[in-house]
Amino acid sequence: MATSFKQIEEKLKTEAAKLLESGSVSLVLAYGKGYDEKHPMPYVAKCASDVANIVFNEFCTYNMARYLVRYPRGTKIAVAVKAADSRAVIQLIQEEKVKREDLVILGIPVSGMKNPKTGETIDSKTTCGLYNPVLYDVLLGEEVHGQPVVSPYDVLAGYEAMDKDARWAFWQKEFDRCIRCYACRKACPMCYCDPCFIDQTKPKWGDKSPEPAGNLMYHLTRFHHLAGRCIDCGECSRACPVDIPLYLFHKKVAKECEEMFGQAAGMSIEDKPALVNFRVDDSDKILE
Amino acid sequence: MLKKTAINKISGLAATLLEAGTLLAPVKEAAGFNFREISDPNQVDLNFHNTILSPKSAFFPHMEDFVHYQTGKSVLEATPVELNLKPTFLFGVRPCDVKSFEIMDIHFSGTGAVDPYWQKRREAATIFGYAFDPDVPARVEEFYQTLGIGAADPEGSDIFMIKKDGDLLLKGITPKGEKLLAGLNGLDKASADEEKYFEDVIVGGRNVKTRFTCVDDKSIAKKFEDLFHVSDFWQKASAACLSCGVCTFVCPTCYCFDICDETLFSKGTRRRVWDACMFTDFTLEASGHNPRTQVFQRLRQKINHKYSYHVRKYGVISCVGCGRCTQHCPVNIDIFSIVDEAIKA
Repeated sequence: MATSFKQIEEKLKTEAAKLLESGSVSLVLAYGKGYDEKHPMPYVAKCASDVANIVFNEFCTYNMARYLVRYPRGTKIAVAVKAADSRAVIQLIQEEKVKREDLVILGIPVSGMKNPKTGETIDSKTTCGLYNPVLYDVLLGEEVHGQPVVSPYDVLAGYEAMDKDARWAFWQKEFDRCIRCYACRKACPMCYCDPCFIDQTKPKWGDKSPEPAGNLMYHLTRFHHLAGRCIDCGECSRACPVDIPLYLFHKKVAKECEEMFGQAAGMSIEDKPALVNFRVDDSDKILE
Repeated sequence: MLKKTAINKISGLAATLLEAGTLLAPVKEAAGFNFREISDPNQVDLNFHNTILSPKSAFFPHMEDFVHYQTGKSVLEATPVELNLKPTFLFGVRPCDVKSFEIMDIHFSGTGAVDPYWQKRREAATIFGYAFDPDVPARVEEFYQTLGIGAADPEGSDIFMIKKDGDLLLKGITPKGEKLLAGLNGLDKASADEEKYFEDVIVGGRNVKTRFTCVDDKSIAKKFEDLFHVSDFWQKASAACLSCGVCTFVCPTCYCFDICDETLFSKGTRRRVWDACMFTDFTLEASGHNPRTQVFQRLRQKINHKYSYHVRKYGVISCVGCGRCTQHCPVNIDIFSIVDEAIKA
């Protein structure tokens, strides 16, 4: 029997109150009320009285790991994570952006999350398709079992059936409507570079105007900067105001990376990021 | 005189306008509707509530080329871009968005420094305002009534349109609109009943229910001024903010831009591109100093600009309550809630 959203909310509140009252963390990254039920928001609880504002429902899609790097190193933080979000925490630990000992990971086992914008159920099509957090200190409910297990790469079938020219045409068409609001990179837990390459002026890597050349430069570079690092939470695609299916490219790169290096991003804190780590038996497929 | 046409024959009207000049109208796209330049009259689709991007791009495009040049050559050889505009018809603009043009005029022509690009585009345009459908409730994000804007206010439009069942009623509001409407072929004369309906919808539009809080320009401006140093208020309001540019790019009254030199090999273009106060590098100075490094400072700037500084300087709030920023915010930050909380604070 899966834990209901309401039960998870209660457990989240109880744990958050315990952690804040004991002083073991200085803040809890969780979810709070938005302007209506369907639109909850990322929420930071800083004291026990904030805990009453915490909510959890099927629209709490946001990846709270994205906010970890906003706080000074050494800040004791409790973070509420769903399956993909926990992978982001692991990846950030691997990349030494946060330390394991500074975190209390509140794992949320859940299925049936919904996109607040479209109401569609979020599944392996736009995310990694896992139901249970990979890493946690406290699990806020029972593990989810019995739900369909679908490879996150199945959705690529149509994309992979396209030849090079068709893919080129596909991305040109998709990027054509990009308005360069940068919501994708800002929603991404792995896009923590300051400054982002596209904001640099010396050297200038890409144009600022929303034109095909600059859009392509921005997105393709971002895709590749996330190679072996994207944990497939799907937040970039949900954040996009013009619905560019960014997840497709991220999944494709993740799949290739997994095939070449035998490792998916953010699955173990013992791993090193695939493209940072050199092993003599690394695949040479990229050179073929 | 009130005229009408069947909504399913809107492509006929679109074709007439297309013959007379450039037509910008709502078009259905992958993620929703947007105003686009029409090439085929069948593209025009009035089956929308509002567009994702505001119609500000009709007068203030996302990018606008000023000068083309060759690197390494004399500045005298650079070619300024001349605007040769045909009469432009901006078709299907909701009343709150029409109101935004009046606010934007302050910045682009109202303070003495006239932006010729804005001015020329504005002069070339005839605005076809379009009342929100009286049978469809306002979106939860909308709050134009809070800012004193009705769902069917014709002010600011040259021609105002209201939907009645399967028909579109059109009325000239300004002399420019009346003249154009009188010369348009293929429109029928509306009946006396329809004239009454038209007037009733305008009056009824003032009572259409959107989110509402009592906002007095001067007191809200003062309130935000007092809240400036209450960083707890801003920290809370911005805790979720990702600092992306969605809110400002979809906003009808955000007008910040950057001027960039973009070159490919030796060919250069100096152009204006939208910028956003929510971007980290918006305030980055050449020295490397950045006066607004924190997210809360940037969100505070955006809200204060609209609800405080703008009132103090120009006597009007720079927001029309269209709700786009809330609707498209990836983390559901709601400007209305922030204003409402400021009032109560």
